[in-house]
Amino acid sequence: MDRLNELTIVEARDALEKGTCTSVDLTKACLAEIESRNPALNAFLEVWEADALEAAARSDERRSRGESLGPLDGIPLAIKDNILIEGKHASSGSKILEPYIAISDATVIQKLKSQGAVFLGRTNMDEFAMGSSTEHSAYGPTKHPTDPDRVPGGSSGGSACAVAAHLAFAALGSDTGGSIRQPASFCGIVGLKPTYGRVSRSGLMAMASSFDQIGPLTKSVEDAAILFKAIHGADVMDQTTAREQTTFEPAWRDRLEGLRIGLPKQAWGEGIDPGVRERVMAAVEVFRSLGAQIIDVDLPYVDEVLAVYYVVMPCEVSANLSRFDGMRYGVRHQASNLMETYLETRREYIGDEPRRRILLGTYALSSGYYDAYYRKAKQVQTLIRNAYASAMTQVDFLLTPTAPSVAFKMGEKTSDPLAMYLEDLFTVGANVVGLPAVSIPCGEDGGLPVGLQLTGRAFEESSLLAVARAYEQSVSA
Amino acid sequence: MQLSREEVQSIAHLARIGMTDAELEKAEKDLGAILGYVERLQNIDTNGVPEAAALPIEALQFRPDVVTGSTEVERTLILDNFPASEGGMLKAPAVFERPKK
Repeated sequence: MDRLNELTIVEARDALEKGTCTSVDLTKACLAEIESRNPALNAFLEVWEADALEAAARSDERRSRGESLGPLDGIPLAIKDNILIEGKHASSGSKILEPYIAISDATVIQKLKSQGAVFLGRTNMDEFAMGSSTEHSAYGPTKHPTDPDRVPGGSSGGSACAVAAHLAFAALGSDTGGSIRQPASFCGIVGLKPTYGRVSRSGLMAMASSFDQIGPLTKSVEDAAILFKAIHGADVMDQTTAREQTTFEPAWRDRLEGLRIGLPKQAWGEGIDPGVRERVMAAVEVFRSLGAQIIDVDLPYVDEVLAVYYVVMPCEVSANLSRFDGMRYGVRHQASNLMETYLETRREYIGDEPRRRILLGTYALSSGYYDAYYRKAKQVQTLIRNAYASAMTQVDFLLTPTAPSVAFKMGEKTSDPLAMYLEDLFTVGANVVGLPAVSIPCGEDGGLPVGLQLTGRAFEESSLLAVARAYEQSVSA
Repeated sequence: MQLSREEVQSIAHLARIGMTDAELEKAEKDLGAILGYVERLQNIDTNGVPEAAALPIEALQFRPDVVTGSTEVERTLILDNFPASEGGMLKAPAVFERPKK
């Protein structure tokens, strides 16, 4: 048997049920691996050893009485630093929130607690979830799990690295423009961004509210299904969760006859590394061999997705981050008057990337520019939504690479913000139109993982994950 | 699209971010590059196209607007998060510097 921390959730659950190990064993295995590897990886910003062992012991006690709170009971998880756990620090990777302690549980945390999950600690991230490499954390970068000279992707880079390096069985991340899927792709694991409105964001620090979603990063598709099932659902604490929630009950299948997978013509143009293109095209052939029909589809305006995103997102960022002003929580730089206190606090404790986006959004929303930027972007967003809706009448899923390249070198893109933004080329579409999308590993290029992305219909995570699993099973067989 | 130093300065002030000359210079360059990229949207014909709805989904109804209160633990956590406090109250710099006599 693999070392305990290398198990998937499904394998760990089975071991717990058979009684071949305890939750305390699983938790200790993760804690030992964290102790040995985290100093080099910097995936976790803080580890809650005592709390984790206590929660694990409670889980074991339940199990010894013949009780279980479900498949996550006793499973050690990692949580991104922008999701609140009552009484625990949550800094969103920012200095301005260094002393902040969460005053309540996020809804996803409440749900996981009630299902017996064990929380190992909080994971590193690009500051306020802005970045594609986790280099923009105020607490130092996270390293790629297999190559210390490379980035793990971002912004949920700490979560992705923790799962890929077996420091945790699975993790939660947040995805505004690809922040779950791109690091999952770089680290060779599974990452799911659910449909907009599927998972409550109550207790998630808001970045761009019309795009943000919480989702799982896991070692397998089935694990993603277990974690997603545990956290989804309407919530009175988040008015943007959808009233109608279709049941999530994936029907696993081996064959894909009768399904149509679309390759968006516009997405397969320039800008993809040859090695990535080759691996993803090989995966397309696997889908074909499983019986799926592969169809080239037209996705007009998809070239504009990134531009729409980089107008709308900063506008929402500039509003959402205005609360970090040193008044009610976090750090304050006390100056001689109120204005100077604001200016100095935000100058000193908010990093370059969030600052850049706050400025962009402030500019785009300022008097005289609103029509040219925000209104225009929202109109083009309509055209993009219509294009996706039309494509989805011809096919059941869309398939693209998750990212244009494999994990890049540290420092390669930090000096050129626009180059970093282009990392989001394939992932932002799902956020701009609100559809669910999953990244799954599809081989390696030069020893580094390549990910492919499947986009499905709204609220149909069941079929999306079923197709992803069919591929995963056929290549692992 | 190039922003002038004065424009960047004024945006930074609106956003309440203090910036040094070197930071303003860098922001001028970075913002110019990003605005140059998003400029491409101006070439798209959006005549008669409505703005995208705020939500692509039918959201929950609003919950009743009632006070739910907080626990003592929550209250303590909120107070402990204040960067400055006095007598259990949040302490903040004066909004008006020179009150009218």
